[in-house]
Formats: sequence, C-alpha cells, structure tokens
Amino acid sequence: MIDVLLRVLIYGAVVSGIWALAASGFSLIFGVARILNFSHGVFFVLGAYISIVLIKNLGVNLFVSYVLAVLLVGLIGIVAYKLMMSPIREHEVMVIIVTLAFALLVEQILLIIFGEHGISVPSFVRGVVEIAGVPVTMKRVMAFLSAIVVIILLEYFINRTRTGKMISAASQDPEAAMIVGMNVERLFVITMFISASLAAFGGLLYGQVFAANPIFAVKSLIFAFAIVILGGLGSVRGSIVASFIVGYILTATITTFGARWGEFAVLITIIAILIFRPTGLFGVEE
Amino acid sequence: MRVNTTKMRNLQTRDAKDPRIFVAIIILILAFVAPFFVPGAFIYLIGLTYLFIILAISWDVIVGYTGQVNLGHTVFVGIGAYTTALLQVPSRFEGSFLSFMAGIPPLPIFLTILIGGLMAAFVGFVIGVITLRLKGYYFALVTAVLPLVFIQFLYVWSDILGGEEGFSVGLEKALAPDPTGRYYIALFLLVISIAILYIILRSSIGYKFRAIRDDEVLAESVGIDIVRYKVLSFVISSFFAGLAGAAIIHYRITIGPDVFDIPLMLLIILATVIGGLGTLFGPVLGGFLIFLAKNWWLKGVAEHIGEFLPLNDEAILYIILIIVAIRAPHGIWSYLKKLIEMVRVKSG
Repeated sequence: MIDVLLRVLIYGAVVSGIWALAASGFSLIFGVARILNFSHGVFFVLGAYISIVLIKNLGVNLFVSYVLAVLLVGLIGIVAYKLMMSPIREHEVMVIIVTLAFALLVEQILLIIFGEHGISVPSFVRGVVEIAGVPVTMKRVMAFLSAIVVIILLEYFINRTRTGKMISAASQDPEAAMIVGMNVERLFVITMFISASLAAFGGLLYGQVFAANPIFAVKSLIFAFAIVILGGLGSVRGSIVASFIVGYILTATITTFGARWGEFAVLITIIAILIFRPTGLFGVEE
Repeated sequence: MRVNTTKMRNLQTRDAKDPRIFVAIIILILAFVAPFFVPGAFIYLIGLTYLFIILAISWDVIVGYTGQVNLGHTVFVGIGAYTTALLQVPSRFEGSFLSFMAGIPPLPIFLTILIGGLMAAFVGFVIGVITLRLKGYYFALVTAVLPLVFIQFLYVWSDILGGEEGFSVGLEKALAPDPTGRYYIALFLLVISIAILYIILRSSIGYKFRAIRDDEVLAESVGIDIVRYKVLSFVISSFFAGLAGAAIIHYRITIGPDVFDIPLMLLIILATVIGGLGTLFGPVLGGFLIFLAKNWWLKGVAEHIGEFLPLNDEAILYIILIIVAIRAPHGIWSYLKKLIEMVRVKSG
C-alpha cells in the first residue's frame, strides 16, 4: 500500500510538471489575448516530433536539437497566430473552429508521416535511481527537474521583467494597456511565442519519458482544459497549482483502475469544479 | 423590438410572391422524384446526406443562432444512436451488470428513435445546466472534452457497446425494407426537422436566441433569462442530433464509434460554416455539398494529392474549413442571398 502511494507521489510529480508546462502556456495566451487556442496541443506534439527529426534524421546534437525544436515551435506559434488567429480574433466562434481544425490537420499529417505508433525522443540521461525504495528512471528525474526550472523562470519572467509585467497588465485590461501606450499586438506575438515554446518543451519531456504520438495533438487538450478550468481561466499560477492536482488525480486513477479510466476521472473533476467552484482556484470573477 | 416587428411585417407581405418559396418547392419536387432516375447507390448516399443535414442544422441552432460553441455535438448523435441500437438489440445486455435490460420487450423502431432523441435532449439538459450558466468559454471547453470521454465508454463496456467494431442491428430493423423507402423516410425526417426548427427560430424564442448571441449583457438587461434560453437552445439542438443519429443507425443498419468521433464533428462544423452560421438554410446547402463530396469523389482526389503531399481526404477537409472560416466566415448562403436580392431588384 505504502509503495503504491509512493509511486503515485513520485510518478504523479513528473506527469504534473510536464502538464504544468503545457497548461500554463495555454492559460497565458488566453489570459492575454482572450484566444482559446485549441491548437495548443499541436505545439506540444511538434516539440517532440521536430526534435526526433533533428536527432534521428539530421543527426543534430541532442542539446542543440532540443533548443532548436523549442525555438522553431515558438516561431510556428507566431506564424499560426498571424495567419489564423489575428485576422479573426474578434470572432470567438471562428477562432475556436479554426484552431481546432488546425489541430486535427496537424494530427492527420503526423499520422501519415510517422504512423500511429508512439516514438520516443532520445534522451541524454539513462539508468535508474531509487527514490525512497521506488525505482525511477533518470529520464523522469530530469524531466521533473527541468520542468520545475522552466516554471520558476516563467514566474520570474512574468512577475519581475518589464515585458512580463506588460503582458500581465495586458491580460488584466487590454484596452487600458493600449491607452497607456503599450503595443498590445506585439505583446500578443511575444506571448504566443512563449506559449508555444512552453508547450513544445512539455512535449519534448513527455516524448522522452513516455512517447510522442500524433493523437496528443488533440488528446492533450483534455488535460490542459481540466487544468485551466481548475486553476481558473487565464491564471498562470492557478494552472501550475492545478497541474499538480490533476496530475495526481490522473496518476492515482490510472494506477488503481487502469489507463482507460483516466479520461473519466478528468471529466468528473471538470464537472465537479464547475458545479462547486466555477471560477476555479485562482480565477477572477468576470 | 421595433426593428423585429417591421422585419416580420416585411416577411409577411413578401411571402406571397417570394422566390424562395418557389425555389423550395422545386427542390422538394426534385428530391421527391429523384429515386425514379438516379441510380440506387446514389439514392442510398443522398438519403444518408439528408440525415446528416439534420445534424448540421441542429448544430446551427446552438452555435449559429445562440452563439454558444458546442464542440460535442457528436456526443448527442452517439447517445441517440446507441440508445436506439441497444433498445432494438437488447440481447447485448445479457451477461452484463445491466442484464435486467435484456428482457425489455421489442419496441417499434420509430419509438426508439424518438427515445434516442429524448435521451440526447436529457443529457444536453444536464450538461447545459452545469456549463451554460458560466461564461461561453467553459461551454466550449467542456463540450470539446465530451466526445473524447464518451468514446472511452465504448471500449470500457465493449461487451455491450461493441467497442471498435460496433455491431449490426439487423436488416429487419432497417427504417424500411428497400433503399427507396428508406430514402423517403430520411427525406420526410429532414423536411419535418427543417419545418420545426424554422418555426422555432422564427418565433419569439428564436429572436431571444439571436439576442443572446448578439449581446448577452443587453439581452439580459431587457429581461431575457439568458441561462434558460441557452439551455433551451442546447436541448433542442441535442434532441435533433440524437434523433438524426438514431435514424442514421436504422438507415445503414450498423453502429460503431464513428458516430461519436471527431471527424464527424468537423464535417458538421464544415458543412455549417460553409453554408453560413445562423442561416438554417445555409447549412442545408452546405451539408448537402460537403457530405456528398466527402463520400463521393473526395477520396479519389485525395489519393492523387496524397502521392506528393502528406495529406488525406480528412486533412483536405480541415484545410478547406480553415480557409473558409478565415476568408468567408459568413458562408455561401449570404452570397446567395445577395445574389437573389440583386436579381429581385433588377427584375422588380
């Protein structure tokens, strides 16, 4: 019993850290630009697949490929924003439809190119360590640590740097931000870059610990949605805290009942939050 | 409100020599005589298209008319479909925790199709009550998750629900014994659905839906109970989705996860967006074109393109949807309307 609990505690932390990266980016762009980006999962899978191509097909060094993949996905995020979201930003219904269609499009293309079986992203660490009697692969330890580092950097960026504070201000009141002379459009582009890069990094780690699979272009949205609803739409800090709650619920359900029940647990979590605390843990009443 | 009443008066005076009614009658006659000169295989496909159109117009009620983005329409299609399939083949419950259901007496097909619609409406009501009192974003997020979760039911309870392969309800449970009969029943269901939705959307209820879509705050301030009307719209939309989903099962005799799946959802969205959101007749046209294209010649075209680009028929539909939504968000119906107006101005 104790070892099951420990396993859930340790494995859950790794999964939660990865989802925190994906969900905080989703929350960030919603908070700043009010864009519900249903193609956020695309950035998640592309992070993994681009680094796989760079490493396996082009023979690029591991570290360089990771960095390149994250930056490239960030740029893809900007292009996607400029072409698909910016022109119809006022039309919320269309933004959702277009981004969802884009996610499905990328999923199909990846399925055609890479097939439906998962591919692992090569990792530079190997071996197993024992933490409190539970064997944990080094990949997981690395993934958790790097996720935490990036989350701390993100917090620092938003709360301490000038651009971060501007993003934070624009998310509270875009019109007021415009009135005081901020270039809101530029902030949106920067935010999109960060949001996509965070997702790509999450996907990269996920692809190392588990495997990259095209279906995550859409499926990862379930977890991202549950997290942002629990954390409160638009609250980055809320998403990070909620990631750990949802991550633990997910890991506990899968260890006790099996993988098939993961989605049910997440849906029940969402419904329960919406009934009892619709604004989430850190959400602001609008 | 004054704008609305003048608009209604205009409609009434225009009705007598409205070219649209003329066009509608011609289309109806064409649809009615089609089985006499169109080959049987196409008649089967066109009949299925009619049922698909019901999915598109019912989606238009909640999204186009009420402005709430429902990405889980296929959940209600699936609920209607599996409800009628299980009621018609209760032996599937045998040996499960629901084995008491295996003893239910055989019911007429049209009754179980109706029950399918009512089940979908009920689930829509429950989900609507929870999510529609919140900001629109929550509704979009929750409905997007629903199909992904509901499709898991099929695998978890695959003994009853048939899992990946689905199951057959048997030829004796078809809408009609011959394809032509099924075609006419599908046509009948479509005409009835359009008529009912037209009446609802032209009534004061329909105007309240549109008021909520155009400005929620304003709608609430003039005394419209917005949550109540959003839920009502969602329930109506879900009912017709469940009804059409159930009818589709008895049309093609088999049931499988495809009635729940995301590609069907995107096909519904594409048909409605191309036709024009919030126009009712636009999605009828869009649904007709898209469903026929998808099942008739798109696969052939996609195979040609697939030789030099990593694309298949689904991917091509997604590309079309993205381009249409960005370039022509009002759909073809608005262009047709302008065209009709121009012709009328010139001739009148």
